Amino acid sequence: MSQTVIRRDVAETDTMLDVEMRKVFKVYNGETAVRNIDLDIRQGEFFSILGPSGCGKTTTLRMIAGFEEPTGGEVLIRGQSMANVPPYKRPVNTVFQSYALFGHMSVWDNVAFGLRLKDCPKSELQQRVGEALQLVKMDSFARRFPAQLSGGQQQRVALARALVNRPTVVLLDEPLGALDLKLRKEMQLELTSLHRDLGVTFVMVTHDQEEALSLSDRIAVMNIGKIEQIGTPSEIYEQPCTAFIADFIGDTNLMQAELQTSQGETVEAITPSGLRLWVKPQASLQADPAREVRVSIRPEKIRIGEATAASQSVDQANCYEGTLKHAMYLGTHTHYQVELPSGDMITVFQTNRSSEQLQPGMPVQIYWSASDSLALPV
Amino acid sequence: MPPTPSRNSNLSSASRRRFLQAATAAATGVLLSNCARALLENASADKSGAAASATNANQTLRIYTWANYTDDQLLGRFKDKTGIQVIADTYDSNETMLAKMQAGGGKDYSIIYPSDYMVQQMVGLGLLAPLDPAKLTGIDQLMDRWQNPAYDKNNAHSIPAVWGTTGLVFNPEVIQTEIKGWDYIWDNQADLTRQITLINDVREVLGATLQYLGYSINSTDPAEIKQAYEKLLEIKPTVASFVTNGWEDQLAGGDLKMSMAYSQDAIALIAEKPELQYIVPETGSSLWTDTMVIPKTAPNSEAAYAWLNFMLEPENSARLVERLKISTPNAAAFDKLPPKLQQNEQLFPPKSVLANSEGIVPVKEEISNLYDQYWTRLTSS
Amino acid sequence: MTTISPNLAEPPVPSWQRPFKKLLQPTILLAPAGLWLLLLLVFPTLLILELSLIPGARLGNPPGPYGLGNYIELFKPVYLQVIWRSLYFALGTTIVCLLLGFPVAYWIALKAPSRWRNLLLVGFILPLWTSSLLRAYAWITILRSSGLLNSMLGFFGLPGQDWLNRAPAVFIGMSYSYLPYMVLILYASLEKLDRRLLEAAADLGATPQQSFWRVTVPQTLPGIAAGGLLVLIATLGEFAVPELLGGASSMTVSRLIYNQFLGATRNWGLGSSISMILILGVSISIALLLKYGDRDAI
Repeated sequence: MSQTVIRRDVAETDTMLDVEMRKVFKVYNGETAVRNIDLDIRQGEFFSILGPSGCGKTTTLRMIAGFEEPTGGEVLIRGQSMANVPPYKRPVNTVFQSYALFGHMSVWDNVAFGLRLKDCPKSELQQRVGEALQLVKMDSFARRFPAQLSGGQQQRVALARALVNRPTVVLLDEPLGALDLKLRKEMQLELTSLHRDLGVTFVMVTHDQEEALSLSDRIAVMNIGKIEQIGTPSEIYEQPCTAFIADFIGDTNLMQAELQTSQGETVEAITPSGLRLWVKPQASLQADPAREVRVSIRPEKIRIGEATAASQSVDQANCYEGTLKHAMYLGTHTHYQVELPSGDMITVFQTNRSSEQLQPGMPVQIYWSASDSLALPV
Repeated sequence: MPPTPSRNSNLSSASRRRFLQAATAAATGVLLSNCARALLENASADKSGAAASATNANQTLRIYTWANYTDDQLLGRFKDKTGIQVIADTYDSNETMLAKMQAGGGKDYSIIYPSDYMVQQMVGLGLLAPLDPAKLTGIDQLMDRWQNPAYDKNNAHSIPAVWGTTGLVFNPEVIQTEIKGWDYIWDNQADLTRQITLINDVREVLGATLQYLGYSINSTDPAEIKQAYEKLLEIKPTVASFVTNGWEDQLAGGDLKMSMAYSQDAIALIAEKPELQYIVPETGSSLWTDTMVIPKTAPNSEAAYAWLNFMLEPENSARLVERLKISTPNAAAFDKLPPKLQQNEQLFPPKSVLANSEGIVPVKEEISNLYDQYWTRLTSS
Repeated sequence: MTTISPNLAEPPVPSWQRPFKKLLQPTILLAPAGLWLLLLLVFPTLLILELSLIPGARLGNPPGPYGLGNYIELFKPVYLQVIWRSLYFALGTTIVCLLLGFPVAYWIALKAPSRWRNLLLVGFILPLWTSSLLRAYAWITILRSSGLLNSMLGFFGLPGQDWLNRAPAVFIGMSYSYLPYMVLILYASLEKLDRRLLEAAADLGATPQQSFWRVTVPQTLPGIAAGGLLVLIATLGEFAVPELLGGASSMTVSRLIYNQFLGATRNWGLGSSISMILILGVSISIALLLKYGDRDAI
C-alpha cells in the first residue's frame, strides 16, 4: 500500500481530485468482491482500471456510478461523499459495455434523454444534442433507431449520450469490448482525442492491457478484488510491484529464486534448477538472504547472439550459453526460445536489425543486465 | 382459495329447463349438419323415419330422462312385472337432449322425457312417433287439464308424467304480511329495491305479468304484451337480478326478500329451510309439464308402451310424488296420496288458482320476436 | 417424395412439374392442421355467416331468401345498447386487469427474490384451475349484502355496500378471472426487460419514477398490448360472470346470442348476425394482437 500513500501525497499537492475511494469493500453473499480499495482519480485524467475478468474492476466502477453501494468505506466525487446518493443524483455518466441504448427511441432521443430529464430549454437541448452527435460523427444518423446501427455506431451514440450531459466524470465499462480489432483501434484513437479535447475525467474499465497502456494517463491494476499497483503505463510495465503484474502486463520470463548475498544495488539469486542470476530487488522488497522471490525478465531486454569465442567477453551481469529450441519470425522481430543447461527455457524477443537469422539447434549466448531482472515478492 | 358455493343443489338440481351448458351441446349438434340452409330445410321436412320393427321384444329398454325421475326401486318393480331391463340415462336441459337426438346420438332410446314446449318443438321437427291409444291403458285417469293439453292435442305424441308451477318464494317472517300474488311487488316497490329476483326466462316473466294484468300467459296481442312490458318496467328497480338458480342462498340469508322460482326448486329449498314459503300467485301461474314420448327412432316401442302403461298405474305415479315432492297429472294417483300431500297447496294449488294457470306454448315467430325484443330491452335498460 | 433406393437414379423432373413437387410436401405436412382448422373454424364460421344472411332463419322453418335484414336489425338502439355494454364490460375489465396486473407482474419479475418467482406465479395461476362458474358463485358469497366483504367492512366499522348485481360486481368477477392471464403475459414481458436500460436511465439522471414511465413502460408496451388485447378478446364473449353477478341490467352480447339460439324466440338468423359482429370484434383484436403484441409473451 506504500504506492497509494505516495500517490496521495502527489495528488494533494498537485491537482484537484474528481473521484476518491477510501477503504472501500464490497461483499456479495459472503464473498468479498472488492477489498480495501484506495483510489484517487485526478481531474481531467484518463484513468484505467485493468485486470482479468472477475477481479472486481466492474464492481469498482459500479460503485462510482452508484449502482452498487459499498459494504464498507466511502466513495467521494469532487470531495462530496456519495453515501446514499442514488445514481441519478451523481455527476457521472456511464458508457455501458452493452451500450444499453433505448431501443424505443431514435438516436436523437437517446442522446437527448438526460437533458430532457433536467428540463433543459429546447434551444439549448437542440444545440447540445447536435454538438454531441457531431462530436461522435453521428449527426447524420439522428433519426435512426439503435437496431438500425452497427456496433461501432451504437458505441458512438452511447458515448454522445454520456458526454452531452457534461458530467464531471465519464465512466466507461469495457467500452470497446464488443468491437472488432480494426474498429477498436479506430475508436481508441477517437477516445483519446475526445478526452484531450473535452478535458473531462475518463475512468475506463478494461481487461485489455494494450488498450489500457495506450490510452491511459494512469492505470490501476486489480487482482482478486484488490488493487495491486497504480501508476503510469511505463511505471506499470517497467516497474511492476508484483509478479502478477509482471506476468499480466506484457510478456515476461518468470522464475522462482532464492536471494543470496547482495553486492551494491544487485543481489545474487539462485533458482531451484541451480541457475545463478544477478537481480535487482523491487523497491519495497527487503533483500534479506534466503528470501524466496520471483524474478521477472522481459524478453525484449535479453540480447541473443551466436555462441562464438568472441562473444564470451560480453560485459553483462547475466550471460548464459544455451541451445536455440524455437525461432518464430514475426517480421519486425523474432521470438526465440532458448534452453539453458540448467533446463530453464528463456523467451527472447529481438528486433530484426540484420538479415542474419539464428537457426534452431544452434548454440547461442543470451545476456542481460542485472537491473533488467527484477526480483519481486512471491 | 375462494369458498365454494354452499349448496350442491345450486348446481345440480338447477338446470331443469334451460341451462348455460345447453349452448355448447346445441352448437355441437349444429356443426354436424351439412350447411346452414340444408340444416333449416332438413329440420322442417317431416321425416318419416320408420320405427324399428318392435315385434321381437328386445328385453332391454333404454330411456333418456331427468335426473331422479327414475330410481332402482322403480326399475326393479318394472322388471319384476314385465321382465324388461331398463337402462336410464339422464340430461339436464331439454336443449341438450334435443341436440343429442338431432345429431343422431339418441337412436338407442325408446322413451324420452321432454318438457311441454319441447314436445311441441319435437313434433314440429318430426322426431316423435304418434301414440296408439289402443295400446295405452289408464289415460282416461289423467286430470281433465291434461286430457287435451295445448302443447300436444289429445296427447297424440306424449303422456304427461309430472307437472309443476312457477311462483314466489319468501320468508314470511321477513315479509310480515300475507302474500297472495304479484300485486305485493307493485304495492311495496319502495321496500323492495333490489330485493327480488325473477326467473331468467322471457315467457315466464312476461307471462306472469300478463296473467297479473288478467291476460293469457300465451297472449299474442302486441298491445297486451307491450302493456305487460311497461308494467314490468315499473318494478325494474326492485329486481336485483334475473336468475333461475343461484338465488337460494341469498334468499335464505336474508339478502333477498323474494324470488320467483319453479315449484320444484322452491320445494327442494324449503325442505332444507322450512322457514321459507312458496306460493302460487292467485292470478295464476305458468304450468309446466314433463312428459314421456316415444321417438321415431325407438328400437323397442313395445317395451316403450309397457313403460308408459306402467307409469300410468296410479301406485307408481303416487310413489313418484311422494319421493320427489312433485305434482302428478294422474287423478287416480292423486287419490292414492296421503291427505297431507293432497292438501299441500305448494304441490297442488287450489282450483281457483289452477283455473287461471296455463302452460306456456310456443307462439308465432313475429310474436316470439316481440317478446324477445321486450326482454332484451328489459334486461339492458 | 425423393426415392430412397440408391440403385434407382432419379429421372429428371420436367420443369413444369417442379412447382407441384415443391408444394406437395408442405401440403402433406400441413394437411392435418389445415383439416382441423377447416372443420372446426372455417366451416362453422361460414355456416354462421350464411345463417346470418337469411332474415328470420329458424330451425323448423323453410329458409327465406338471402338478405341483410339481420344486420339492419342490429342497429336498433336496444341491440346497440347490448353491444355497447359488452364492450364496456370488456374494456373496463381490461383496464382493471392492467392496473392491477402491472404492479403485480412488475413486483414478481423485478423485485421479488428470484427463487420465489415461480412459486408466486403458480400462486397467481392457481385460481385458474377452478371452474369459472364456481368462481362466480364464490363471488356471490363474498359480495352479497350479508357476504364476506360487508362483514369485513363492518368489522372495521365501515358501512356495508350493495355490491352484487351491479356493474362493479361484474368488473370484480371478470377481473379476478382474467387477472392471472394478464399477470402471466406482463411477467413474461417484464422479465425480458433489459435491466441495464434501467441502470442507463438512472445513470442519465432519471428517478425511479421517470425510469418507469420513460423506459419500463415503453419497453414493455408490446407485452401490455398483448395482455390487454388477450383479456379484451376473452371478455368480449364472457357469458357466466355478467350473467351471475351483473344483476337485472346485465344483458351481454353472449347472452343475447344464447337467447336467439336457445331461448323462446329461436331467431337463428339474428343470433348469427350478432355472432358475426362478435367474431368481427374478436378478429380485429387478434389482428391488433399479432401486429402490436409481444408474441413471445403470449
